[in-house]
Amino acid sequence: MSVEDILAAENELTHLLGAQQAVVLSTRIRLARNLEGLPFPGWAKIPQRKEIADQCVGALEALPKFRRAHVVRMSELGDRDRAVLVERHLVSKELAAGKSGAAVISRDQTCSVMVNEEDHLRIQVVKAGWHLRGTWHIAEQLDDALGGSLKLAFSDRLGFLTACPTNVGTGLRASAMVHLPGLCLAGHMDKVSRALNQDGLAVRGWLGEGTEAAGNVFQISNQQTLGLSEEAILKHLGGWIKNVVEQEWNARRKLAQEEGEKFVDRLSRSLGLLRSARLLTSSEAMNMLSHLRLACDMGCLPEERRHLVDRLMIEGQPAHVQARAGQELDSDGRDRRRAAVVREALKDFPDLVPPSA
Amino acid sequence: MSQPLKCSLCEEAATVHLSQVVHGKVTKVHLCEACAQKGGAMDPAVFQLADALTTASPAPTLICPQCGFTDIDFRKRGRLGCPSCWETFGDVLGGLLRKVQHEPSHVGRTPAGASPVGRLRRRLDDARREMEKAITGEDYEVAARLRDEIAVIEQQLATS
Repeated sequence: MSVEDILAAENELTHLLGAQQAVVLSTRIRLARNLEGLPFPGWAKIPQRKEIADQCVGALEALPKFRRAHVVRMSELGDRDRAVLVERHLVSKELAAGKSGAAVISRDQTCSVMVNEEDHLRIQVVKAGWHLRGTWHIAEQLDDALGGSLKLAFSDRLGFLTACPTNVGTGLRASAMVHLPGLCLAGHMDKVSRALNQDGLAVRGWLGEGTEAAGNVFQISNQQTLGLSEEAILKHLGGWIKNVVEQEWNARRKLAQEEGEKFVDRLSRSLGLLRSARLLTSSEAMNMLSHLRLACDMGCLPEERRHLVDRLMIEGQPAHVQARAGQELDSDGRDRRRAAVVREALKDFPDLVPPSA
Repeated sequence: MSQPLKCSLCEEAATVHLSQVVHGKVTKVHLCEACAQKGGAMDPAVFQLADALTTASPAPTLICPQCGFTDIDFRKRGRLGCPSCWETFGDVLGGLLRKVQHEPSHVGRTPAGASPVGRLRRRLDDARREMEKAITGEDYEVAARLRDEIAVIEQQLATS
């Protein structure tokens, strides 16, 4: 089993020093694809789902991008390992909840393809920071390679056919994971969300649909997939992300200016608390790590510390804490362990200085 | 829209539709509620079925020949059964797509190795429409450009 390998491996989101950026944590592209002539996973019988998994996993393993890839079958994983994959965004909650799903994950964890989720194939590509074109380019190449070896369900009129009418056409969901403490602190997030919703974009919490925005982290993605070209979808999202990033910076600058010493004090307190807490809940950790990330972006902490903050945001989640400890832990046990990991990671963090940004 | 079916026994509108397999043949009977109840008094089998139909959910009107998925299943799950369902339920889905999607037809990528015929045909339709509009608007320069493009596409379609 390779979930331990996945956790141990240096990868795009948790280790790539220098790739992390202010405001945008990561860019993600998802393509929904299905095989012709086979029922969608939700309607397929068990032998059909097995046939789908065999065909798809076989085709994926043959691609150079997935050389030495991790192939994980949900039926072979325990609850904790499945939760780790969900927390890393490598698989969805829906895939983890079923028995016949599988995922093929590239060595560097930038590409993961879910098999037998709502659709036969869900191709995902993720990059740290804001790289819409680069991420799209990788997804496009993977799609072409898969389309060359598998017969994909496609209609001239409706495009790529999917189980749900909200994905048909391009099957494309492009998203950015954004960290918006400035807009949240200024109380503007509701207004921003509404504006995005009205223009066809969805705003969700950290772990996608139906999750709350812990740590001021939001996922912004396109909602419509049919009647717009991939190019148009990317351009629309790109324009809005640029706008949101700008507004976030305005809110941060205004806050820093208006609050003066109080601004640094607030962020410093979070560092102090994280460095000395003995019990830390997951949402408490997320909210204070959000302050540290803001401090890195604003020049209150050295920028090169940002990747460590991002890593703690991912590794501070419940299943990760338990996997690292190598045992099941109750809620207090997790909070104790999380506090210890965070304390250790932050012990040589310097004190905050006034903002330079 | 087709005319509402009439009861097989009287002239009332039929609200109960029965399919029975008799000697290997499917027989369809349409009844109004009153006749269905009356007929049921004489035939216990019909009675039970009619009773069930008037109280339970309606019978499916569309069934995917490929995977057996019905319009009732779609209403329950909000997901389709297989790629062929898109053809079977095309009319039902058309309205939904217009509501949740930008436009009801695809303008993006095709699978690698797929023929670009569909895309050419769509472009041909669009170009013809645009040309008519240009002519109506007396924009002859644009109309001429579109005429040339149409000729090229027709040529490509003829040889593909």
